[in-house]
Amino acid sequence: MAAVCLVVAWQRWTTSEERAIRTRLLGLASDLNGPDAGAASLLRAARFGDYFTDDVVVELGEGSPPIIGRATLVGMAARLERRTTAARLKFDDIDVRLRDDRTAADVGLTASFMREDGTGGDAVDAREFALQLVKRDGQWRVARAAAVAALR
Amino acid sequence: MSLARRLVFGSNPSRTAIRILVLAVVSVIAFRWVLLPVRTEGISMLPNYASGRVTLINRLAFLRHGPSRGDIVAIRLAGPHVVYVKRVIGLPGERLKIVGGQVYIDGVPLGEPYVKYRGPWDVPEVTLTSTEYYVIGDNRGMRASDHSFGRVNAERILGRLLF
Repeated sequence: MAAVCLVVAWQRWTTSEERAIRTRLLGLASDLNGPDAGAASLLRAARFGDYFTDDVVVELGEGSPPIIGRATLVGMAARLERRTTAARLKFDDIDVRLRDDRTAADVGLTASFMREDGTGGDAVDAREFALQLVKRDGQWRVARAAAVAALR
Repeated sequence: MSLARRLVFGSNPSRTAIRILVLAVVSVIAFRWVLLPVRTEGISMLPNYASGRVTLINRLAFLRHGPSRGDIVAIRLAGPHVVYVKRVIGLPGERLKIVGGQVYIDGVPLGEPYVKYRGPWDVPEVTLTSTEYYVIGDNRGMRASDHSFGRVNAERILGRLLF
């Protein structure tokens, strides 16, 4: 009976961290897809930086230089947002693997970008990403994001 | 038993319940592991697959042999819920290049009747390894830089599109 309780407790502990990471990533997508003007937009911009560590590195793949640092990333996202207000971001197939110390995790996911293509339909670009998240100040933050080339 | 109840539950309700259960289990197995439903999005497979078309991926198609040239396959990204739908044009071990939009396999031009829009794409020659296929969309009228195509490892190919 004690063993069963231990297993259940261990499972719940494991899944709660995984769930926190999934919720965090879905929150990131939701914030990026939020309203595009007014106070909500300002709040969203402030929250966006909170999802990343100060020294975050984002690698978008061959031909794109890495984006280094939270300030750079937030600035780029703000500039990009003004040009792509019709774009939406969605995360699928989120696979979370916690490291042994439970303060870091490797995450695989597919990011889909949908935007109005001018013909009434959605144009889609989908990329696989490998993320490293770390738990800092009680929050899971993205420390590294690298595009994975499915087709080379 | 009233006629209405008989029409809904059959003459033997417990047997009907078992049939429904079996049907549900078979459906879950079929549509989760064998025939994955997908909805195509985007323009890279035009004119053969328009955006919004619903089809099924046969995950058992390549159990006994690998994909053949011309097969339309689903390629997984991080998982099976978002996939690339592409056509296989190069097989393991082959040399492939594209010159002015024309595909060459081992130096021989490849006939592609399914391509209706063709731009002057150029791709330097690549040699596929024993586990690689070359996949590409049918819409070559778009800019090559906007089109995802290239070599893919066999383990990423989920299955063949049924229709």
